[in-house]
Amino acid sequence: MSTSENIRPVEQVTVAPLANIVERQQIWSRMAAKYGVENPVPPWKSSLDGICDALDRGGCGPEVLSFVDRRNEEDTLSATVYSTLPYPENQLVSLAHSLVARGVIDETELQHRLAGIRSRLQAG
Amino acid sequence: MSEHEHDHDHDRTAAPMVDEITDFEVLEIALRELCIEKGLFTVEDHRRFTEFAEHIGPTPAAHMVARAWLDPEFKKLVLADAIAASREVGVDWLEPTGFGTPSDFTALHVLEDTPTLHHVIVCALCSCYPRPILGNSPEWYRTPNYRRRLVRWPRQVLAEFGLYLPEDVAIRVEDSNQKHRFMVMPVRPEGTEDWDEDQLAAILTRDCLIGVAVPKVGVTTNAITDTRPAIHPVQH
Repeated sequence: MSTSENIRPVEQVTVAPLANIVERQQIWSRMAAKYGVENPVPPWKSSLDGICDALDRGGCGPEVLSFVDRRNEEDTLSATVYSTLPYPENQLVSLAHSLVARGVIDETELQHRLAGIRSRLQAG
Repeated sequence: MSEHEHDHDHDRTAAPMVDEITDFEVLEIALRELCIEKGLFTVEDHRRFTEFAEHIGPTPAAHMVARAWLDPEFKKLVLADAIAASREVGVDWLEPTGFGTPSDFTALHVLEDTPTLHHVIVCALCSCYPRPILGNSPEWYRTPNYRRRLVRWPRQVLAEFGLYLPEDVAIRVEDSNQKHRFMVMPVRPEGTEDWDEDQLAAILTRDCLIGVAVPKVGVTTNAITDTRPAIHPVQH
């Protein structure tokens, strides 16, 4: 939204790998209930907080997504494209969406990485 | 091991875990790896920020207010220089992560309630919050619904949290920003006259320190609030 190459509103950008994730709805409340787990938030939440803080204030690389843009887009995307996801799933997916929409992460690259990580985690 | 010959008590084994790899877990790892590979931050940055996110919570803020209720001199310090007072409860406000990262936590103000004035904090712009001393913000604090409506209809929004303030109590909404963060010092409730700091800190819940609740004898948990989507979401 704030970069010149990204003219379309962020919620009009389609990110296919993220749409697939939404469709499968492996949200924490459902998974926790399925396995009898009582943690109110998923185990990846603090690591996501770490990513957000590192992007906001890490300072070792170029600023690709400002704090205010990140939060505004999270609000917009959570109310539109990802309105079926609860928090913090909507926070995670919105962050990925913002990074793809800005061209920081390429959609195909993300797709390959997701497949690679899943096969790595399932190898054991 | 096919038979239960091993020597342990099943009632004391680890809590159940989600034994399935979820898409969200995979996505979080993918984002982290790609950001690190692209040089947006380092593994070390990420580890330290994650540890920061895991260890912060409302305990230091609760103790700061409890101590202020007990010690008039400390209360003066809290109101005059909250950053100095936060050091007394173990929080270095100016460098909360403790590893030299430039911090945007530059100012902290504690808002003192009186019997006729009640404070409540919000961040109308995004979700700025006094994280080093109060922990991560609750989900509802981040929502556009709370942020927009609290500013317009504070009495109504507080009532949705179960806090019904008499008409003769004025409500002041303090809007946070990236540099200035706030927390509330509620009025010490009756029935706590001979309590010590730990007892007082136990009723100073996160919600009381945000201002969507007031401390009450016997209440040590936060309100459970349904998060509602905004009725008029952002239009571009």
